[in-house]
Amino acid sequence: MLKNYFKIAIAVLRRRKFFTFISLFGISFTLTVLMVITALLSNVINPGYPDKKRDRCLYIPRLEMTSKKGWMMRTASSFYFLNHFAGSLKTPEKIGIASGSQTSNAYVNNKKLVIDVKFTNADFWDIGDFDFIEGKPYNKSQIDQSQRVTVISERTKLDYFGDVPSVVGKYIEADNVQYRVIGVVKSVPISADAFYGNMYLPYTVSKSDYRSKNYDGPYQAILLGHSTADLEKMQAEYAAIVRKIPVVDKDYDQLYSNADTYFRSVVRDIAGKGNKSGMFVFIASASAIVLLFLLLPTINLVNINITRIMERSSEIGVRKAFGASSRTLVYQFVIENIILTLIGGILGVIFSILVLHFINSLQLIKDMTFTLNLEVLFYSLLACLFFGFLSGVYPAWRMSRLNVVTALKAQ
Amino acid sequence: MFKHLFKLIWNKKKQNSLLIAEMLVSFIVIFAVFSLMAYFYQNFKKPMGFEYEDVWVINYQNNQKFSTTDSVNLYYETLTKTIKQLPQVKEISFAHTNVPFANSTGMTGFNYKGKDIQSVNNYTVDEKYSDVFKMNILEGRWFIPQDKIAARRHILINQTLKEELFGKGKAIGQVIGDDKGKAKDKMEIIGVVQDMKDKGDYYSAGRGLYNPIDTGAFRYLSTMLIKVTPDADAAFESKLYKTITNYMKNATVEIEHLSQKRVAMNKVTLIPTVVLLTIAGFLIINVALGLFGVLWYNINKRKGEIGLRRAIGASGNAVSKQIVTEAMVLATLSLIIGSFFAVQFPLLHVFDVAASVYITALILAILFIYLLVLICSLYPGRQAAAIYPAVALHEE
Repeated sequence: MLKNYFKIAIAVLRRRKFFTFISLFGISFTLTVLMVITALLSNVINPGYPDKKRDRCLYIPRLEMTSKKGWMMRTASSFYFLNHFAGSLKTPEKIGIASGSQTSNAYVNNKKLVIDVKFTNADFWDIGDFDFIEGKPYNKSQIDQSQRVTVISERTKLDYFGDVPSVVGKYIEADNVQYRVIGVVKSVPISADAFYGNMYLPYTVSKSDYRSKNYDGPYQAILLGHSTADLEKMQAEYAAIVRKIPVVDKDYDQLYSNADTYFRSVVRDIAGKGNKSGMFVFIASASAIVLLFLLLPTINLVNINITRIMERSSEIGVRKAFGASSRTLVYQFVIENIILTLIGGILGVIFSILVLHFINSLQLIKDMTFTLNLEVLFYSLLACLFFGFLSGVYPAWRMSRLNVVTALKAQ
Repeated sequence: MFKHLFKLIWNKKKQNSLLIAEMLVSFIVIFAVFSLMAYFYQNFKKPMGFEYEDVWVINYQNNQKFSTTDSVNLYYETLTKTIKQLPQVKEISFAHTNVPFANSTGMTGFNYKGKDIQSVNNYTVDEKYSDVFKMNILEGRWFIPQDKIAARRHILINQTLKEELFGKGKAIGQVIGDDKGKAKDKMEIIGVVQDMKDKGDYYSAGRGLYNPIDTGAFRYLSTMLIKVTPDADAAFESKLYKTITNYMKNATVEIEHLSQKRVAMNKVTLIPTVVLLTIAGFLIINVALGLFGVLWYNINKRKGEIGLRRAIGASGNAVSKQIVTEAMVLATLSLIIGSFFAVQFPLLHVFDVAASVYITALILAILFIYLLVLICSLYPGRQAAAIYPAVALHEE
């Protein structure tokens, strides 16, 4: 039966080429947009280089303090705050602490280089899966001795030293201070905020005082659990600690600091406040936007489909006259529509690959490439089916109510 | 004629309601796009209000500890003198982080005659700030060192804020701030400056207020602005950098060029807009093709009716006119519904945008939809005109 429907569908598609073109154009274009968006989103949600253990990690990117007067302060935390409070957690395997990247200049041969510097502790290197092109990271004893050593990115190596085989042992100058290069890593895209930097330094050589007992500062923490199951435990443990932290700043009376999964921390940054993560608001508004976007192509498809199906009223009349039930007919037309949508879906995949290729070639975000992964493909397949179903059901239902006599007479 | 058309449309209300829905949603999309474009264009037309070429921003995080306010002031005065000695430096100013084209905004609010004015950009600057940017002072004067010790805070406001508060009236000498507040929290206006579009070419300046930096300000300031001569090059920049980092041993320092920051800031506006326009463009092509297809198909189905009209004497032109007018009536119906929603935007002051933006967008969107429907119905109309009564009636 299915084979028959398939044959009919292909025959119908080839008969009215103009309508087929319109339908395919609408479907493939809509899916392309959806797929490109999911590809961009999945880049935020899913692990990429060097954040491959993201499903085992919790992030403490910021600290929020509020007062009853309506004041609010949202900043990153100090080294002391993270080391003292988050550092007292029992569950995590490792606790990485790193500053947000701070921009600094270097001048080589009268050319200016903008270098983003990140100060880190030793655990940071065990949490991020950095690809070391040469050398190795600095260890705890080097940090404790405040050694002026640095790990630089491939990009910085190329910009600062030029195309030379090895730079380990050479000196690089930033902020008028010389650092000895002990490692070079593959460049990290700026979207991987927690790991991004072009030059990594031990936190002990930072010019700001890492011993300062203020709560606010430039640092963020990454907690690595032994397994995904640890996440909830770590979250609860940290929440319990935060509840006991005294607020020392006299201007504020309430303190919030959350250990979040990566996606949640991003959402909290956009829509959250205090203890509310803003997840619901975010998901609801994102779905509303996607639905609104889908509305226009869907109405268009329904319009086209009604036209297509009504054109075949004589065929419907004959089939009804020979005893086909309304349900069989609806079934047939929905399947036909899904076949059409799947063809559009395949075209959409091809277009998305082209579009993503184009976006990558623009290099909007340095060192970042978007790819169409399997998950994205799966979601687009779902979107395809949803679409085919949505735009097929109403016309099919209207068609099924056609009276046999009217249907036959229309010819 | 119209009564007849309405009857025809009513007879096929199911199919036509879908067409109307499609036009309606297209109208809303187009209205949104045009609103954005009109907003950007209106802002783009306004003058920049200041000169940013050859101005460099120096961001520094100084971690040095000072015991007294005097020692901080002395420290930064020496730094200023040292930099000033470089031949390419014309002017130096210190400011809070929200300098032009920076991703930093400071907002404040106050009371004026019982009215609560919120979202006012708050700039903390020193006496040289207006020289660095060649700001245009429309009324009154810029800060002088004595303003720091005045009994009431002396401030300047920008044109937008002035017009909102005083209209055509005089602003100089007016005192703003909480009516019940303390005397030192009140602010006296000593001048009005032209709006500075400091968030890029496509955003309006908004309300603005300029505060002079106070005596202890150097403890928290972290931004310096330097106006250089046009011949300042990378070699000079490297020298400047060395001079500063040698003096501020405990600081991280970064030099940025305002002209480059402006380009970067505009990009942040333009790239999403281009993406949005491309998507909207494709959506519209999609809709146009759909409309065209449906209208065209309808003509084919109405051959009998059209043939009959031709047979009783209607000219080809009259038939084609009928088809086009029918489509236009449909468009009008959807535009009436759409306009009802669109008009709410200027009426309710959504997003705090000038009503003229929405009205321009509304007119353009209506024209656009009419044009789109006209283009899509012209060809089907001509097809209908080409139907021969004999052939059509014979088929029937």
